Amino acid sequence: MAVIEVRGLTKRFGPVLAVDRLSFEVDRGTVVGFLGPNGAGKTTTLRALLGLVRPTAGTATIHGRAYGDLPDPLRHVGAVLEASNFYPSRRARNHLRVQAMAGGLDPARVDEVLELVGLQDDAGRQVGGFSLGMRQRLGIATAMLGDPEVLILDEPANGLDPEGVRWLRELVRGLAEQGRTILVSSHILAEVAQTVDSVVIVDRGRLVAQSSLEELTAGARRVVRVRTPRAQDLANALDHDGVRVERVASDRLEITGATPEQVGMLAARLAIPILESTTEAANLEDVFFRLTATTTEVEGSR
Amino acid sequence: MTRSIRTELLKLRTIRLPLGLLATAAGLTALVTILGAARAGGSGHMAPPPLDTAAGLTAMLTRNGLGMLMAAVFGVTVSSGEFRHGTATTTYLGSPGRVRVLIAKAIVAAGVGLLFGLVAAGLTTGISLAFVAAKGDPVALGWGTIARFAAGAILGSGLLAAAGVGLGSLLRSQLAAIVTVFVWGFVIEQIIGGLFDSTQPYLPYTAATTMAGATLGGGTSPLPFAAATALVAGVAALLSAVAAQTTVQRDIA
Repeated sequence: MAVIEVRGLTKRFGPVLAVDRLSFEVDRGTVVGFLGPNGAGKTTTLRALLGLVRPTAGTATIHGRAYGDLPDPLRHVGAVLEASNFYPSRRARNHLRVQAMAGGLDPARVDEVLELVGLQDDAGRQVGGFSLGMRQRLGIATAMLGDPEVLILDEPANGLDPEGVRWLRELVRGLAEQGRTILVSSHILAEVAQTVDSVVIVDRGRLVAQSSLEELTAGARRVVRVRTPRAQDLANALDHDGVRVERVASDRLEITGATPEQVGMLAARLAIPILESTTEAANLEDVFFRLTATTTEVEGSR
Repeated sequence: MTRSIRTELLKLRTIRLPLGLLATAAGLTALVTILGAARAGGSGHMAPPPLDTAAGLTAMLTRNGLGMLMAAVFGVTVSSGEFRHGTATTTYLGSPGRVRVLIAKAIVAAGVGLLFGLVAAGLTTGISLAFVAAKGDPVALGWGTIARFAAGAILGSGLLAAAGVGLGSLLRSQLAAIVTVFVWGFVIEQIIGGLFDSTQPYLPYTAATTMAGATLGGGTSPLPFAAATALVAGVAALLSAVAAQTTVQRDIA
């Protein structure tokens, strides 16, 4: 059952079409990566989902309701948006106390979430003195105050050092194991690849793919590299079967569009000796870059 | 609404800015009152009348205009501070009802604004009476009048703080809103009131100061206390209402 539903979401900021008829769903208890290059409309979509941005058209709902219509929303949805959304002279514990009071939450949760993110020793410090990583942790603590079933995380790894990224990955994995529904955005697929069940990929505000990681790579290109003394014969045979072959050396071929088994069987049938065979599976990053190539190229050319 | 009000109060209790502004208001009020009282009855044409006269004591007791204006600045920070520090996002995630948040802010700012007025009135009254006592002069105003001036300063400050919330919500930019407060109070109202005497009672900041006992130039009579109160409250409500219909509904992007 879909917990998060985005249907025909469109958001225009003046002449800029930030989100263009975007539709996707996130099922209960799944972790979904919301991916796309910078400027793809991820943050706008998440903010529309959280009632911070008013859609030009379409809907974005959680449990079938707009965020603002949820009773005590912090009990249902936790969100991490930006690491800079703190009053600098307010102490970390007080920031959480304020949000707990706003959400009608148990004040005892404040110390629990501080411990969850490892900030219990810094709770009395002013947030203005926090590093970016500590602010991200405080943001996650804020999101967890209401022990919500749904978590929406916008680029949560931004500003985290490698140790912090690993901590975040383990935290998200732990939260997912508790059965929470998590939508986590990133412009770096590798950041979320180890944590998510599936991905929603957007480019220039439009949906370009929604699938599991396995499905994403299954249909993708992979390269079989073979070394054979009869490279030209094998190349001719493969070419005859409509397989794309590139002769990269006198005894080496790079074959695209055929499995290693198909290449091996064909070579055996023609009695062509194969001295070496390797397969390079499609890289998730490659798939991601291919799907979002248009925007990347446009941005790169600016 | 109770929860929103308690949240806004907790926000103010957990930052230093309100105390800083209150201390600034107190310091400025004390400074201008001491300087005025020290020069009262002096020879210069700018010197206030002697403190043993009703006019002289009134001039000192009503030197709380700067403190009242600081209450408006405080109100501005209550609302525009959310945008300056980007905390509006967190606020609206916790309390998605934006108009409810605005009303809660106005109520809380008005309440704290009363404190600004209380401090300002306490300082002007205390310093003025201390100078009167030091010179051995009689107290030239009745205690009822002095109490009415203080009550006006307190109420006027509360209403100006609420107006500040509306202005801060409308402009969002804290710097622009604070500059607007000072330019409006010290420049625009002075120019309009100077050019057209009859408009003075209807200018909101001037009306608030007349609630605290300030007299108007050109022999113009101030509005009755209740009417002045209604005028300043109306301006505060209007600013908040316009903000609620416009800027408050804008995207938090």
